[in-house]
Amino acid sequence: MSVEITAASVPAAPRPVARRGAGAAILGSARLLRIELRHNAMLWLLPVAIALFWYNGYREIMALPPMWNLRAMTLQNRLLLDLAIPVTGAAAWMGSREGRRNITDLVAVTARPRWSRQLAIWAATTAWAEVACLACVAVVYVMTARQATWGGPLWWPAVVSAAGVPALTAIGFTAGAWFPGRFVTPLVTVVMFFGLGFSTQAASGDHSYWQISPLTAGAFDIGAAPGVASFYPYLPDLSIAQVMFAAGLTVAVLGALGIPVARMRWLAAVIIAVGLAAAGTAVALAGTGRLDPHGMIVIPALHDAASDQPVRYTPVCSRTPIPVCVHPAYASVLPAVIASSWPELTEFAGLPGAPARISQVAVTYRQEPGNGITVSGGGPSVTVFVLPDEVPGRLGTTGAEFAAQMDEGLGLQLASDVILGGDGGAGVSAPSQAQLAVIAGSVRFPPSVESRDLAPLYGRLLPEPGSLASLAARRFAALSPAARHAWLAQHLAALRADQVSLTQLP
Amino acid sequence: MTAVAVRLVRLHAVSRRLPAALALLAACAAGLRGALYGHWDSYGALQLPLIFEACCAAVIAVTAGSPFGEPERATGRWLPFLRLGAAVTLTGLAAGALAAAGSGLPLAGGFPEVLRNVAGLTGLGLLCAAVLGGPLAWTGPLAYLVLGLYGLYTDWHPPALSTPWIWPARPPHDVGGALCAAAVFAAGLAAVTLRGARERPGG
Repeated sequence: MSVEITAASVPAAPRPVARRGAGAAILGSARLLRIELRHNAMLWLLPVAIALFWYNGYREIMALPPMWNLRAMTLQNRLLLDLAIPVTGAAAWMGSREGRRNITDLVAVTARPRWSRQLAIWAATTAWAEVACLACVAVVYVMTARQATWGGPLWWPAVVSAAGVPALTAIGFTAGAWFPGRFVTPLVTVVMFFGLGFSTQAASGDHSYWQISPLTAGAFDIGAAPGVASFYPYLPDLSIAQVMFAAGLTVAVLGALGIPVARMRWLAAVIIAVGLAAAGTAVALAGTGRLDPHGMIVIPALHDAASDQPVRYTPVCSRTPIPVCVHPAYASVLPAVIASSWPELTEFAGLPGAPARISQVAVTYRQEPGNGITVSGGGPSVTVFVLPDEVPGRLGTTGAEFAAQMDEGLGLQLASDVILGGDGGAGVSAPSQAQLAVIAGSVRFPPSVESRDLAPLYGRLLPEPGSLASLAARRFAALSPAARHAWLAQHLAALRADQVSLTQLP
Repeated sequence: MTAVAVRLVRLHAVSRRLPAALALLAACAAGLRGALYGHWDSYGALQLPLIFEACCAAVIAVTAGSPFGEPERATGRWLPFLRLGAAVTLTGLAAGALAAAGSGLPLAGGFPEVLRNVAGLTGLGLLCAAVLGGPLAWTGPLAYLVLGLYGLYTDWHPPALSTPWIWPARPPHDVGGALCAAAVFAAGLAAVTLRGARERPGG
């Protein structure tokens, strides 16, 4: 017996219901992301990005003294700019892929909506760009951790850089997706680089809205300075606003990708509005900033008053006749301080009026009109002193230049305090020629110090060049520090009382 | 020049998007002119022209890509001359447009520096076109832009980069920098003239 089966006789099987759970959707997105990660232009531009950072940023950062504040703030200033071209270019390239290959209509019929597919490509590009960004941060921070004498990583500068990367990729990707021509990728890349690199040119003062630029790690005319965030904690106020701006911009630009999708236009509009609101709020907050005395930007709405407390530390002191104590973050600079001040520290140790110890104190910053900033510090007595922001290695400062600054500051202050008595002879209207000669003979200015640098001090703390006192100063300087110390131990009281003439100087 | 030759040149120019490239070069020159009216600090004044020069070089390099590939190579015996002519013409026009844009305004380095930088950067872009393909030819000039800007930065903050291969950091009349830029331009021209831009599936 044969059974004939026809299509009509077979009972209709129930059609499988196309139902996808959230898990399946996530799995599908993960697969799509994995595919895009494997076929992403940013992967091939990683070596370019890292090479650019090594050449431009890393070498200069590593040439700085190993202080967390200096290196982290310089990193924020450099990293995003070095990544801007490869990251924006790769994102624009990926964004223009469908249009460039003329497959827009082909992929439009796939199961996933265009917006979803584009977000997967953007996410993959951003992921590789973040790999480059975080790798650069990691190398700098690991090297600094091995060299720094005090403190720990400052994370906010790294967070700002990492938050800026998605904004770069979002703008590049969206431009590429909307205008997939052959010229769009280089053009949007140059525009982004120009906007990022030159955005701070218009900034003026601590109330500038342009501080929102993710390259800005503090006040414009201070930048990454040793005196910032060493005696007081690093203030995250500006960083929070910058992260908020970058995140808002990213959301708004990615939302703009959804505009062409008719069914999702309202959702895209809401996303754009939210992103722009966040970015706008961040810009407005940056405009309320003010420079605090410790060199950082305070934004009242974001400020935590607990951050105003000074950092606790144990100073590092030298084993010199007069100990010099500095903040432990400056420990790497201490040998240079001692080398430049050794003759004065030896000569004046133990003399009446000489300090038993000299301690570094924080500098004070004050905003002037425009971008001018006044840096002051120290006090009337030589027991406290400030180290200049131009430490060796910063902005090409050499050891000789640093020594010159130290001699003009610490050395001269120490000598004048001891010779003129008290607080640098503030009460003395006109020091005698012998006093000026001894001061000039005691302080050794490096050859790099020119007479025009010292001109304001002539007659007040130093003798006029070519005068008899100047000749006597040369004689006095020819003595060893120990011989000068011995002479001063015998004659200091008479010298202060103006009872020593030039001819009586050794 | 015969009508056929004129038509050949016109078709080659259109296929390489030369009209759009010319418009973009003019836009770059206008952008530089507008930027020079602004108030810039020393960094900005010196670094600004290099950005526009790099943009022009990237635009020129991107035009090297061919949309036709093998059929064009097989049938176009005048193709090397057309490639050479297009690259040289665009480079000359770019340098002239940028220099004209800076006339009467404080353009750092003047025409010699513009010519050197545009030629060198374009050469780099043409080399990239030969190696990576036309659509990716922008990577060379734009990556070099970052190096050049850093070279200018080190003029203030020593140690300065003294190698002539970073020619934007050298003075306008520096022979070493000019020779390096000229060598790169010649190499780029030779590569694009003889081989053309590399063709990649899917652009």
